[in-house]
Amino acid sequence: MIYFWRYIYGFLGLILLTLVLAIASLPDAKLHLVACDVGQGDAILAVNRDTQVLIDGGADKKVLDCLSRHMPFWDREIEMVILTHPEDDHYGGLIDVFRNYKVTNFLVNAVDSDKNGYQVLKKLVEESGAQVANPTSETSVRMGKLYLDIVWPSEGKIGEENNSGRTNVLGAFTTKKDLNTFSVVVNLNFGNFDALLPGDIGPDVIGDILAGGEIHDVEYLKIPHHGSKNGLTPALLAASTPEIAVISVGQKNRYGHPNKEILDLLKEKEVKILRTDEVGDIEVLTDGRSWKIE
Amino acid sequence: MKYAGWLFLCLLLIFRLVTYNPGFQEGQKIRIRAKITSDPIKYSFYQSFWLAGLKLSLPAYPEVSYGDLVVVEGRVEGKELKEATLVSQEKRAGYLVKLREKLLNIYKKSLPQPHASLLAGVVLGVKSGIPDWFWQALKKSGTAHVVVASGMNVSLVASFLVSFLVLIISRQKAIPFALAGIWIYAAICGMDAPIIRAAIMGSIAFSAQAVGRITYAWKGLFLSAMVMLFIKPVWFGDIGFILSFTATASILAFEPKVKKIFAFLPQFIRGSWATALAAQLGVAPILFLTFGQYSLWSPLINTLVAWTIAPMTVIAGLAGIIGLAWPALGKVLVYLAYPLTYFFIGMVNFFSR
Repeated sequence: MIYFWRYIYGFLGLILLTLVLAIASLPDAKLHLVACDVGQGDAILAVNRDTQVLIDGGADKKVLDCLSRHMPFWDREIEMVILTHPEDDHYGGLIDVFRNYKVTNFLVNAVDSDKNGYQVLKKLVEESGAQVANPTSETSVRMGKLYLDIVWPSEGKIGEENNSGRTNVLGAFTTKKDLNTFSVVVNLNFGNFDALLPGDIGPDVIGDILAGGEIHDVEYLKIPHHGSKNGLTPALLAASTPEIAVISVGQKNRYGHPNKEILDLLKEKEVKILRTDEVGDIEVLTDGRSWKIE
Repeated sequence: MKYAGWLFLCLLLIFRLVTYNPGFQEGQKIRIRAKITSDPIKYSFYQSFWLAGLKLSLPAYPEVSYGDLVVVEGRVEGKELKEATLVSQEKRAGYLVKLREKLLNIYKKSLPQPHASLLAGVVLGVKSGIPDWFWQALKKSGTAHVVVASGMNVSLVASFLVSFLVLIISRQKAIPFALAGIWIYAAICGMDAPIIRAAIMGSIAFSAQAVGRITYAWKGLFLSAMVMLFIKPVWFGDIGFILSFTATASILAFEPKVKKIFAFLPQFIRGSWATALAAQLGVAPILFLTFGQYSLWSPLINTLVAWTIAPMTVIAGLAGIIGLAWPALGKVLVYLAYPLTYFFIGMVNFFSR
């Protein structure tokens, strides 16, 4: 009988402890914008209350550690995942995300990739039951106080290539052009706080994007293409006038990212630079009025 | 005459080891067709696993998994197959492999990493989902053995089955079912050295119960070592195999003495401390000689976290079985293991910094 009661008390104790830990991890009302430290690659997580938006997943399962650090343990659902373009340093980790989490909406670049990993992701998404849509500059999403406005690719840009007539699927069409030029560009807005998340776009298309007139002053800029020379241009910096520039990049990566010219350009404009290879996860907190770096 | 049987077995084993020829020559290009019998370890850009006694690495995709029938080509270099390429792959997911996938999914969909993979490791010895940083932390703190399915798991499975079955049938008749349970469990875990050793020892212990004899732990240990080496001579000299036996042998040899020396400790920690220290007495020199590193904190941290392992295994095991029939309830039960994994992971992180 003594043993019986010992098990009952142990069981009740665990229930109590689980509740305490669950309550301690309840989210606040602020927006947490986290550039995950995923090595060489991109993964940006926006959290507001129990809503999460994940933009790209890095190259591998490191993104799961970032999600563990910034989501309560009982929340196993990511409301929206966005894939800017099908390159493995952006989609690789999404394979693990779809295996470990329930994803409600998947906003995915329409361009296909014949890489083995991308085919694995396609199959997983199909089985997962996530709502799939291909974003264009006409797309905008509202989730509570969080607004996502897609700036690129334009319908014209997609129309040039997509002869398949298929939309809202993974890999609607294939292209021989540089995948980066199709990269999804997101304007994220929360109260007075704006962030521009331009994936891997580069000089080839930045002119066209600016011509669309949707790039405006922001507080936060994710530097396109991990700080590659084939990324940020002075024109994009002048149009977005950020206060902080976040570079998602791996230590001693073989591409030599970030490029010195890009760093010099930012220093010249006195933009504060934060790099994931130097500080790990970069978390910006905002209530929609003021913001700070955690 | 008492030892004639053992002498005969020893001679038989020596004969087997001496005449064993893996059939590969150094530098030889070979093609292997075999079933993958343990979990491939996944890295960012490649995956590695053992096939026919050789270790090989393949690109991360297409993924291969436990139970697949694969054909690979490569060049033999020591115990490795270099420049390996995948020629063909057949998914041969039998019922047990599917069952194991379902169990792992219950943990993955209920808790974040590394909590989910810690439970998968504790219950089934599955290491494939463990993040690299956590695996390093486990090794550094000397606690990696908890994510190996071994003796405790086998005796939990067997006693669980027996205590259920005695409600319907007699204890004598329940034993064969318990033995079947042990081996089905070992197959679900993947046939690694520690689980096979534990399954053989468990089988000997439970069969001895059935015929009414007292079990002899030492005999069981030696007999299982011999059986394993006889079937798989490639394990001779394998570090995992040696560690698994040394740990069990040193617990058998030293635990009672260590317990006596530390008689002044309060009872609730004395047991764990004695087991941890006794195991380390044998294992530490091997670890140090092989890997050149050893954490002196290891017995202490093992004592601190030891109490969480049994409840973790029981809760996650039950949650898995219940979750197969009723996923929502399984998930709620997995949550109850969270305070335990939270404590365990916190301790391991603290001691491996």
